[in-house]
Amino acid sequence: MKNSFDEKILEEANDWVKANQKVVLATVIQTWGSSPRQVGSRMIVNETGDFSGSVSGGCVESAVVRECIGLIKDNKPCKKIEFKVSNESAWEVGLACGGEIAVYLEQIN
Amino acid sequence: MKLKILQEIIKKKDSKTEFSIVTNLKDGDSEIFEKGKKLSKNFESYQDQIEIFFKTKKNGVIENTEIFVETYIRPIKVIIVGAVHIAQYIVDFAKSLNFEISIIDPRGYFASEQRFPDLKIINKWPDEAFKEIETNENTALIALTHDPKIDDPALQHALNKKFYYIGALGSKKTHENRCQRLKTTGFSDEQINSIHGPIGIKLGGRSAPEIALSIIAQLVSETYKK
Repeated sequence: MKNSFDEKILEEANDWVKANQKVVLATVIQTWGSSPRQVGSRMIVNETGDFSGSVSGGCVESAVVRECIGLIKDNKPCKKIEFKVSNESAWEVGLACGGEIAVYLEQIN
Repeated sequence: MKLKILQEIIKKKDSKTEFSIVTNLKDGDSEIFEKGKKLSKNFESYQDQIEIFFKTKKNGVIENTEIFVETYIRPIKVIIVGAVHIAQYIVDFAKSLNFEISIIDPRGYFASEQRFPDLKIINKWPDEAFKEIETNENTALIALTHDPKIDDPALQHALNKKFYYIGALGSKKTHENRCQRLKTTGFSDEQINSIHGPIGIKLGGRSAPEIALSIIAQLVSETYKK
């Protein structure tokens, strides 16, 4: 038994594509330490920065949105990004919970 | 990911089949794997490892490769006996959970489609209804009628088939009587004690949505104990 949830993010992605939006799918592919969301967690982002779903507990979503918009602008198919433990003294994005995650971004085309 | 693959995944999810999505992280190429399927030449060299991920229902990157595997498991079958008010809220709460709900109620006026749109409702007595549903130790039962005529046959079926979760609505007194009846029928104390009765975790609320929430919470908790 692996999970009892179904967040229906892929279904939502399909609806966004049908509405002629450009959509990037972000998936947690690896985690180290205490990461808030497990491997396979997903969020989707469109070209205007609207997003749905999550890859962390709100810690890195804003950076993921920026990266996804960049991917659409540069018209790149995919990209892997990693987030590490945050430096508390800096106003930068990181995982306050002390974990590390790798997120895979891919355009739906 | 290609839109075609995305739509195929959604279709597969709807048809409740078990499958994995394999993605080459280098170029974003992806493919769907199912039991017995031979992978295309882009992924064929990882066939053995992908099959292990699929069998063990694992998600992750195959070690020392750039191949990501995500496995979709079949939703867990949850059978509700009693198309009552609480059942309507359970159905609502379960919308973002991976449960496939069927409702059994021989009383036609309860089991109307208007009360439960888009749901499988079996308007028959439990003994007849269970002939239409395949059940096993991965099935859950939520008995909500607290009417022995309807609940008891369903509970007996669930105990015989070793459902991983069996819950029955009713007060402590109702549950004591229920246990007594099951004992007379020949069920062991161990079997009877496996029934969650009175059903649900202790939240304190007594309204239909609150009871539904306490039942769903208990069901999820027992699902993770499997």
